[in-house]
Amino acid sequence: MSAANADRPSASESGGDGVRGRSPRAGIGESVDSLLIETAERLFAATCTFDAVEAAEGTRWAPTIWSAVAEAGFPWVSVPESAGGSGGSLFDVAALVRSAGGHAAPIPLAETGMLAGWLLASAGLELPDGPATVVPDPSALKLTDGRVVGSAVVAWASAADRIVALVNDRGVTSVISLRPDQVTITPGANMAGEPRDNVSVDVAVDDVEIAVAPAGVDGRELLRRGSLSRMLLSAGAIEAMAQLAVDYTATRRQFGKPVAAFQAVQQHLVVAAQCSVRASMAADLAGRAVARGTYGIDVAAARVIVDDAAVLATRAVHQAHGAMGVTREYPLHHLSRRLWAWRHEYQRADLWRDELVGVDAYGLFPLITA
Amino acid sequence: MIRFEMTELTESERALQAEVRAFLAAELPRGSFTPALGMNAAKDPVFSQKLGARGWLGMNLPTRYGGHDRSAVDRFVVTEELLRWGAPVGHHWVADRQTGAVLARYGTEEQKQRFLPLICSGELSFSIGMSEPDSGSDLASISTKATRDGNGWVLEGTKIWTTWANVNDYFVVLCRTTPADQVTDRRQGLSQLIVDLRGRGVTAIPIPFIDGTDDFCEVVLDEVFVPDDLVLGEIGAGWTQNTSELAFERGGPDRWLSTYLIVEEFLRLQRGALGESARRVLGDAVANYWLLHNLSLSVARSIDKGGAPSTEAALVKEMGTRFEQDILNAVLELVDFEPNTNNSSLFNRLLMSATMTAPSFTIRGGTNEVLRSIAAKGLQLSGGGR
Repeated sequence: MSAANADRPSASESGGDGVRGRSPRAGIGESVDSLLIETAERLFAATCTFDAVEAAEGTRWAPTIWSAVAEAGFPWVSVPESAGGSGGSLFDVAALVRSAGGHAAPIPLAETGMLAGWLLASAGLELPDGPATVVPDPSALKLTDGRVVGSAVVAWASAADRIVALVNDRGVTSVISLRPDQVTITPGANMAGEPRDNVSVDVAVDDVEIAVAPAGVDGRELLRRGSLSRMLLSAGAIEAMAQLAVDYTATRRQFGKPVAAFQAVQQHLVVAAQCSVRASMAADLAGRAVARGTYGIDVAAARVIVDDAAVLATRAVHQAHGAMGVTREYPLHHLSRRLWAWRHEYQRADLWRDELVGVDAYGLFPLITA
Repeated sequence: MIRFEMTELTESERALQAEVRAFLAAELPRGSFTPALGMNAAKDPVFSQKLGARGWLGMNLPTRYGGHDRSAVDRFVVTEELLRWGAPVGHHWVADRQTGAVLARYGTEEQKQRFLPLICSGELSFSIGMSEPDSGSDLASISTKATRDGNGWVLEGTKIWTTWANVNDYFVVLCRTTPADQVTDRRQGLSQLIVDLRGRGVTAIPIPFIDGTDDFCEVVLDEVFVPDDLVLGEIGAGWTQNTSELAFERGGPDRWLSTYLIVEEFLRLQRGALGESARRVLGDAVANYWLLHNLSLSVARSIDKGGAPSTEAALVKEMGTRFEQDILNAVLELVDFEPNTNNSSLFNRLLMSATMTAPSFTIRGGTNEVLRSIAAKGLQLSGGGR
């Protein structure tokens, strides 16, 4: 079904015309080609215009944006080329997802490759040609009496060619790949108008594509990766809104001067920049931990930081914008509503925080500096 | 928008970290000394000299002056360990953190040979001569003046909030060498002079600090003669030199570790499982320490790569010092006793001291308001785009 996968550009080729024809990247490097980031920034800036993002909320799907991004191979970056992906490392896809977050890209970029694609490739199942998504809750679906049963809220389910999930049966974790006709989808949306559909499943296990998940691919890992995707999107969005605040306050004049000249307003800019710096560093560190598979506290600690930064940044940036920022005519809400929505996905920070306690007094500093 | 580059400690930096940890555990076992709250530490020249002998002072200074030509990250690693242990770093603190660097950058060959080896060995101590009774954040408004006299300058004025001026050896005094009404910009006509704190005409009077300690001083300079060979850098370039001195002291682990021992002691005294509120406080603390460690490390790495992360350092200091206060308050909400002098436990003493000195965290080394202005300017100048 996915012969077209062979035509997907590799991650190295999607770096723009300048690198086309170069040998595919090994996918293990930890540095990201700056050309890949520049290409992504240009592509998202060109396609995710204010009007396009606005329109996507109404239509629940943005085919033009998706085709442009798919043509570059971005959704499948970090999925090995041998498995039908675009190749590249987790560091590469992390940079892309962050960039997508900064432009409020209304597409399942993280879902298709770094989540569903990862699960499918790990289990040796086939990737679909189009978008794929994932059931975020690893225990939402159960295997009982030969049937897969359950329901969950799934991002972009109605647009996906495949809905991928983990099921656990007597200690064995498997990956299943569901076709849209095997599930019942009730459309829904999060606060940002991104599709978050209710998917309900009741299908004979013999009728679905299923394969045992290899070691290291389990519910815990799905939550980590899913959380990482939200942190990357959020870091991008926080960075973009902090810049929006700097730019807006430099041009908006009140009392005869740019509002950025007032110290009280500058303080909001500083808080926003700090939130951006914090979220970016946290997401970077979490990404490195996931890429290396070496888990200390990075992923959990990062989520606590990012969610806190999302709350404080939206507050500061909205305040710096005054009434301008609370209208739908100004782009800030594309970012702030997403940040408010994403913090609830892949476990709220409160549950991640639980992974950070339990160390004794003298183990505390080694833990922090590990 | 500004972004910090993620980094991590190399194997040799990890080895240094382990070495410092082992040294501290052997030299100052927990329970054998009264640990300090970060840089508000006791003055212990013998301890400082032990650090000097290990090569852990003046780490960034040139080897030909007794320094070690080590990286900013190496110094970060050592400083972080000393502070989190509550080690008595008071004697060498200012000299090691900023005076040595400024001397190495602006000093004459003779000054470098005279002062740097003694800074690196932990013998010589310096104070900071910036603030005055009428000039705090607005340093360009200082009124201490130096008048030309033969082969030197005669200093007249008063410096204030000068830690350990009563016992330290020298301080670098920012003063006006050209009267303010003869310059077009107040930042012109300022100079830095190295002043012997035990010299003639110098009187250091302790000002009792809010917690009752007496290392905070007022220094009266009454016709103090400073010979030309103790002029630091160029006459008239004091503002630029002084600004670089301030940049050196920001962004380091001293800006977020002041109350670390409060958290450690709280944990040490826990019996049984942590309650719900304590779990929340501790989880937030771990996440924030983890992040600040990585941000400070990133600033140090950037310096080693030749960067000038002054906006970054201001951002770290501003958020780090607020965190030091926040985490203290969060722990205070969890303690089940009233901090007072009837309780001789270390935790109680640290809590009282931290509570009373916490307001100074967001003031010393540049108030948070000034830091925000510096950072905002940096953000606005950095231009659009990401």
